[in-house]
Amino acid sequence: MNNRPELFRGNRIFLACIYWAFVLYVFVPLILMVLMGFKDSKFIGFPIRSWTLDWYTGVFADAEVISTFGYSVAIAVLSTLISIFVGTWIAVLLEGRKFTGRGVTFGLTVLPALVPGIISAIAFRIYARYLGIEPGMGAIIWAHAVHNVPFVVLVVMARLSTLPKSQIEAARDLGADPLVAFMRITLPYLVPAILGASIFCLLLSFDDFVRSFFLGGYDPTLPVLIFAKLRSGMSPEINAIATVALVLTAAIGIWAERFTRRMNKEN
Amino acid sequence: MTDQTPLVRIEGLSKHFGETVALQDLTLDIAQGEFVTFLGPSGCGKSTTLRILGGFERPTKGRVILDGEDVTGQPPERRNVNMVFQDYALFPHMTVAQNIAFGLELKGMGKADIKRRSDEIMSFLELDAFGSRYPLQLSGGQRQRVALARALAPDPALLLLDEPLGALDAKLRGQVQQELKSIQRRTHKTFFFVTHDQEEALTMSDRIVVMNKGRVEQDGTPEELYFRPASRFVAEFIGETNLLSGHVRGTEGDKVVMDWEGTTLKGKAPARVPGEGQPITASVRLEKLGFHAERPQTANAVQGRVVSKTFLGSRMSMQIAVGDKGDALLKAYVDAETGQSVGNDPVWIGWEADNMAVLND
Repeated sequence: MNNRPELFRGNRIFLACIYWAFVLYVFVPLILMVLMGFKDSKFIGFPIRSWTLDWYTGVFADAEVISTFGYSVAIAVLSTLISIFVGTWIAVLLEGRKFTGRGVTFGLTVLPALVPGIISAIAFRIYARYLGIEPGMGAIIWAHAVHNVPFVVLVVMARLSTLPKSQIEAARDLGADPLVAFMRITLPYLVPAILGASIFCLLLSFDDFVRSFFLGGYDPTLPVLIFAKLRSGMSPEINAIATVALVLTAAIGIWAERFTRRMNKEN
Repeated sequence: MTDQTPLVRIEGLSKHFGETVALQDLTLDIAQGEFVTFLGPSGCGKSTTLRILGGFERPTKGRVILDGEDVTGQPPERRNVNMVFQDYALFPHMTVAQNIAFGLELKGMGKADIKRRSDEIMSFLELDAFGSRYPLQLSGGQRQRVALARALAPDPALLLLDEPLGALDAKLRGQVQQELKSIQRRTHKTFFFVTHDQEEALTMSDRIVVMNKGRVEQDGTPEELYFRPASRFVAEFIGETNLLSGHVRGTEGDKVVMDWEGTTLKGKAPARVPGEGQPITASVRLEKLGFHAERPQTANAVQGRVVSKTFLGSRMSMQIAVGDKGDALLKAYVDAETGQSVGNDPVWIGWEADNMAVLND
């Protein structure tokens, strides 16, 4: 009996060590990347003899980087709007009445999330040419939207399955036709799920390289621009761009996670 | 509308779910201003009837006529019927006032009228202080009142209540029962109440329809059901009773004579009396049995021995072993003083023929 707490304590220390080792493994590359963005030298590597913010001022002064950033954000926002609209629609359809082919519809809906990125990118490219869609913003938005729909469907369906049937019946009972009941009861109930899915889609789209690369025209998205800059040699400027992108996406992700958790709790 | 025309007329209503028959050929009228309770165990068809009246289910056969209009095929939003749901189904993202105004907005009322009507109903149900609260900030009893206010606000011809007291604790339930009954009296609304709780049904209803396996077992006032149950099912379901199984010996006017545990008993005859020698059951309520030291002058009397007593405060519950072998048990309620005075000596139990109902199974 007496040595059991000791044993337990030993276990806990062991588990804590493993945990911190894992955290280190994940974060060291990120930290190195951030540090190099502040190095006052063109060569990446230790030691760092003097520090500078020049790379950041350079990035914010670089019209190409700024416009590419805006381009990526525009693609993310537009593709997210499409995915949310289509995904919510499909989720409502699948979660409602049972119909023949429901299983198949669900399978086909989720499929784009399971296809490897490179394969779906090539498929999109071939299909776009076949349909006569020019490479460029439209094609990228289309590919991102299709890729993101499954995530919206899954998140919205999960939320929808917790909506008590009596809520809709009560609305109908009080004089709402099915459309009004959907707009005034179902949709407000889905808001936390839709917001959560939106943030997820925005980040997925902003981060996407393969589809944007295969379907892009002359204007690069941010990940494609970074890739292009890498080919002409590694420079701390890239570290600076990447750090800004990292901070922004992490902040949005953390805020969204807390926000949706709070909303779920309230309802 | 004259008083003679029923508010609701249900004609030959049946509902099948696949192979299962939920409701079998129900025909019934409900008068304006009645408090009707559909009572029965789960799966008896009471909720199905309620959902058909609300428009949430289509009957397999039959019609529902509301205020002279056939509403059988009408969706819920077009019926002048509102419902209090079992889980209240309050809209969590709307305040109490918004919940109550919901039905009024959809009726196309103007802002001022909505405000006036909402305020009226909220003060009627003593909800004035809660208008700006959200449902999650209310207690169970308050939520129940909001659900009632929301359903009453559009002034429906018929109010459906689906076991609305199930979620409340026992103490609150008694209080809400009284409230509901008084609200029904003051509004002169027709209430269609569904429950499996016989006590609830007895306290509130003008009329109770006992359902079993999709059919009506009995339809009458609470008193009729309690004192003159039409079937063994009703006698067992409503209140506590002694069921005596014996054989028919014959009839005497409106009474049946039967053999039970070596004694001859007399009771009120049912609609159909089986032939001589056939098995039959009679029901006598616990409080109708009297204790006597000598053989009493009542129509029915048996001798027995008290085997257990339970003190219940104002009264005592007794178990008496009777019959040739002493293996038949009678249960009886007596006042506490009589109960205490009864010892281990044999006692006589007596009751009148009018207090025993002979039943059809």
